[in-house]
Amino acid sequence: MTKDVKKMTLFANLLAIAIILNVLESFITIIPVPGAKIGLANIVTLMILVMYGPKESIYFVILRVFLVAILTGKLLNVIFYMSMAGGLFASIGMAAIFKSQFFSMIGVSVIGSVAHTIGQILMAMIILSTVTVVSYVPSMLLFSVPAGIVTGMISIRFIRAIKSVNVS
Amino acid sequence: MNISKQNKRDVLLVLVLLFIVGTVMGYREWIYEPGETTVANVYYGNASDPIVVIDFFNQEIIISNTQPNAAQYPKHNVDNQTITLLGDYEIDSIRQEVVLRYNFETKTVEIIEEESPYHVCSKQGESDGEALICLPNSIRVEFSTATQDFIL
Repeated sequence: MTKDVKKMTLFANLLAIAIILNVLESFITIIPVPGAKIGLANIVTLMILVMYGPKESIYFVILRVFLVAILTGKLLNVIFYMSMAGGLFASIGMAAIFKSQFFSMIGVSVIGSVAHTIGQILMAMIILSTVTVVSYVPSMLLFSVPAGIVTGMISIRFIRAIKSVNVS
Repeated sequence: MNISKQNKRDVLLVLVLLFIVGTVMGYREWIYEPGETTVANVYYGNASDPIVVIDFFNQEIIISNTQPNAAQYPKHNVDNQTITLLGDYEIDSIRQEVVLRYNFETKTVEIIEEESPYHVCSKQGESDGEALICLPNSIRVEFSTATQDFIL
């Protein structure tokens, strides 16, 4: 019972942190495509992945995208669909790679970052019904690979620090 | 779980990804030669037909359609060489205008005025071949190297 409560409270706290990171980084735009970000919120997703498991990490991302959209008043608009597509691609990709144990957390993070980009581009292709957006892929990938490495490194530090908290 | 093996795979993954990106970018930068731009098609929403055609070859603007739910758009201003469309981005539930400027001499198009988060659309600057994409306003400009005149 107490373990469940502890598990739930920590999940909610981490979700709150992820939402704040998500909103904060929306003030930083580097690439001229809406929704392109460093992926700081992904640090928390990686933590959830290790502490709770693959399934929970996917739920976590869906909840985060929904709540951020509600908070910023962007529910069901273009940016929401792009975030949701990117988030789903990233979380499912990371969950699968994490389960296979083929890469370390940095590799998992890079895969997540790249999958996020691909998800967004695919959604943009659907929204605009054009393939021209594909021309953004190389420049976005060039950015998302180092971004993935950085978020992966940060997440490793946090995972080490939080390992004493036993939830699962 | 073997940590050093995983780290090697990580490095390999990053190198493979960077190699792919580098190849594509290098090809585009040094090898790929785009033909001379002759038209720029302006699209709104997910329609497959352009709403405005900027014909650099014949130096004319063809407005082929009006915008759905906004029949007075697109507006063409000959003196300023601008085309004004109504974008999808709303401020206080009012859709905002998007202004494109074309230049027949340099064969370029630029989004000069729009409302979107951080003005991501106008920050793309002037273009003579690379598509201008403005997702928040559902407007895009695509350049093409062939016109009907060339085909006929």
